[in-house]
Amino acid sequence: MKLAAMVCIGAVLLASGCGNNGRQAPGTVVYNCPANAAEVAVLQKEIPVFAETSGVTITLHPFTGQEKLYAMMAAGKAPDIFYTSGVMRDQLASEGRLLDLRQVSGGDPFVGRLWPHSIQSGTSPDGGWYSVGNWEFTCGVYYRKDLFDAAGIRHPDTAWTWDDCVAAARALTVRPDSSQPPSRYGIFIGSHFVEALEIMNGSRFPSNGLTLTVPETSLEVYRAYLSLMDEELMPDVRRVQAMGMQAPQLLQTGRVAMLVEAVPHQTLIETLSVPWGVAPLPRFKGKAPAYFRSSSGGLSVSSSTADPRATWKALVWIISGTSIYQPNPVLRDVDFTSGWERRYPSLAGSGFREVWDLSLKHNGGDPRFFVRFSSWTSGPILEKLQPLLDRLWSRELSVEELNASVHGINAGVRSQLEETLRHRTLQPAFRSHLEQALKELNEPPSH
Amino acid sequence: MARPSQWETLLASAGRYAVSYGILIVLGAVFMLPLLWMLSVSVQDAEGVFAQPFQWVPEHPRWENFRDAVTVFPFGRYLANTAIITAAVVLFTLLSSSLVAYGFSRMRFHGRDLLFAICLSTMMLPGQVTMIPLYVAYARLGWIDTWYPLIVPALFGSPFYIFLLRQFFLTIPREYDEAALLDGAGKLRIYWSIILPLARPALATVALFSFVGTWNDFFGPLIYINTPEKATLTLGLQMLKAQIVGTGTVQWHILMAASLLVMVPNVIVFFLAQKHFIRGLQMGGLRG
Repeated sequence: MKLAAMVCIGAVLLASGCGNNGRQAPGTVVYNCPANAAEVAVLQKEIPVFAETSGVTITLHPFTGQEKLYAMMAAGKAPDIFYTSGVMRDQLASEGRLLDLRQVSGGDPFVGRLWPHSIQSGTSPDGGWYSVGNWEFTCGVYYRKDLFDAAGIRHPDTAWTWDDCVAAARALTVRPDSSQPPSRYGIFIGSHFVEALEIMNGSRFPSNGLTLTVPETSLEVYRAYLSLMDEELMPDVRRVQAMGMQAPQLLQTGRVAMLVEAVPHQTLIETLSVPWGVAPLPRFKGKAPAYFRSSSGGLSVSSSTADPRATWKALVWIISGTSIYQPNPVLRDVDFTSGWERRYPSLAGSGFREVWDLSLKHNGGDPRFFVRFSSWTSGPILEKLQPLLDRLWSRELSVEELNASVHGINAGVRSQLEETLRHRTLQPAFRSHLEQALKELNEPPSH
Repeated sequence: MARPSQWETLLASAGRYAVSYGILIVLGAVFMLPLLWMLSVSVQDAEGVFAQPFQWVPEHPRWENFRDAVTVFPFGRYLANTAIITAAVVLFTLLSSSLVAYGFSRMRFHGRDLLFAICLSTMMLPGQVTMIPLYVAYARLGWIDTWYPLIVPALFGSPFYIFLLRQFFLTIPREYDEAALLDGAGKLRIYWSIILPLARPALATVALFSFVGTWNDFFGPLIYINTPEKATLTLGLQMLKAQIVGTGTVQWHILMAASLLVMVPNVIVFFLAQKHFIRGLQMGGLRG
C-alpha cells in the first residue's frame, strides 16, 4: 500500500513539475518580467500575436531577484531581457555582462522615438547604452480640495512657493488639544522625496559622478524639512514609514491634507474617492524651477543572448508594443497625458497635465541619477550616508554634523574604487574611466 | 523555626503559579499579536488597515477578501504544486534521514564519529555560500525550471534531522535489536520493523519540521522555478504582492487573507502532529 502511494506520487511528480526543461530555441527570447499576475496575463495573451508578425517568441520568467540573476549568470543561463537599476546596470556592464545596445539598435527608428534624457539615463560611464527605461514619472503635491476649500485657502498653482506651501500646511493642520499631536497634519513628504526638493532649491550633481556632494542648497532643504516636523505640520517621517502607512490612506483618511508623491500614481488615482488635485513641487525663492523626473532603471539585455537581433526586437516591442505600458512616457511621439486622462477621467482638470508638462519643460532629472543612487560608488556612499540621514531625521544628528561626515564618506569611496580596480573582470573602458576619476580625486584641489 | 501552615504553603504556591502564568500569558500575547493583526486585517477593507485607533474586530467583516485572494493568482494550481513538492520532500526526508541516523546510531565502523561530525558541520554553511555552486550544478544537470532541485536533495538526508533521529534512536534499547537478530532479522529489517515504529514521535517531529520548512520555502522555488505554471504558493504570494503593488501600495487586507489561507495547512498539520511532536522533541532532542 505504502509502496503504491510512493509510486503514485512519483508518477504525478514526473507528469507535472519535473522534467520539461526545454532548451532555448533560436528566435526565442527569455524575458525576466516582474512577478505581476495581471502583467503576466496580458503578456501571455499578446506574445503569440507578436510572434506571428515578428517571428520572435518571448518566454516569460516572472520570478525575479538579484541573487537569482547572479546565479543564472554564473551558470550561463541569464535571461535575455531583465530589469536593472542604475547601480546594477553599471556594475554588470563593467563586468561585460550586458550588451551595449548601440550594437543592435543602429538604424532602428525606435531610437529616435525615445526622449534623449531617457537614453542618457541608460548610459554607463564607458559611454555604452545598457538599458532602456520602461517608465518615467515626476512627482508633485497631491492635495485635498475639500480641505483647502473648508479652510478658505487658495488651491496651489504652478507658481506657488515653498513659503506658500508651508503657510498652507500651517493653516490645514488641525490640533483640537494643544497637549495632543494634531489630528490632521498639513503635509507629508517621504524622506525619499527630499532630494526632489534639493534640486528645486538649486542643488546640482554631476551625472555619473563618483563622490558624494552635499551643497549648501541641500543643507537648506534638510533644515526646512526638519522644521516641518518640529512645527508638527508634518507627521514624524520615521513613525509613518515604520507603520507602513501608504500614500492613498494618508490622504483618503484626511490624516494629511497634502502629500508629495509620484505623478502619475496609479493606486492613488484609482483609490482616492475624495476631491483631490495635484500641484507641482513648490518653488524656492529666487531659484529656477527644476522638477524631479525619474527615468532611472530599465530593461537590459544580457551579453550572452543567443540572438541579439531577436532580443532587440522583443525589447522594442515590450516598450512600445505591449498594451501594459501604453501610453509609454519614454516615447516622445506619444501623447502621454491625453492617454492617461482617457484612462482616468478624474485626471482632467486635476493639475496632472500641468505638472507633467512642467517636468518636461524644466527637467531637473532624477536624484537617483546623481551619485547617491545611480553611480557604481553609490553602495559605499549609501552604506554610510543612509544611517546618517536616518539619524538626522531622528534628531540624533545635526545638519552640520552630517555635512562634516562627507569627507570621511568620500575617503571610503576612494578605497572602494581602488578595490574595484583590482577586479580582473573590469572592462577596459570602465578601468580607464575609474583610473582617471581616481587620479582626479587624489590630486590636491587647485587654488 | 515554625513550619508554615497549610494555608501559607497554598498561598505561596498560588503566588508562584500566578507569576509564572502571568509571564506566560504576557509573552503568549506578544507572540500572538502579529497573528491576531493578520486575522483582523484579513477581513478589513483597505482603509481599515490603517484606521486609528485600529479596530480589532471590524463591524462589517469583508469576507470577499478571501475570494479576491484566491482569484488574483492561480491559487488552486499553486496549492497542488506546493502539496506535491511538500509531500515528496517530507517522505524522502523521513526515509533518507532515518536511514542515515540508523547507521550512525546502530552500526560500528571506522570513522563513524568523524563522518557524523562532518555531517553536522554542513549545518554551519549558510545557504548563500552554496547557492551559486548548487545552481550551476543543477543547471548542468538540466534541472533548472523543474522541481528536481527542490525535491531530490531530500533523498540525501538533512544533517539536523539526522542528528535529531540519531539521538532518539540511541534511547531505544539495543535489546530489541538483539532479540530481532536472534529471530533472524537483518539490519534493514530491524530498521524498518523495530526502529521506525518505535521512533514515531521523532519521525513526527521531523515530518512536521520538514513540512513547515518546505511549505513555507520561498527562496528555493524563487531561485529554481521560472515558469508560472510550476510555481508554489509562496511565489504566488509574491505575485499577489506585485499584482497590487502598482506604484508602491500594497493591499494588505488581500495579502493577509491570502497569507492566512497559505498558513492554514501548517496549523492543521501542527495540531494533528502536536502530541507526537512534543514527545519527539522531549525524547530525541534532549537526550544524548
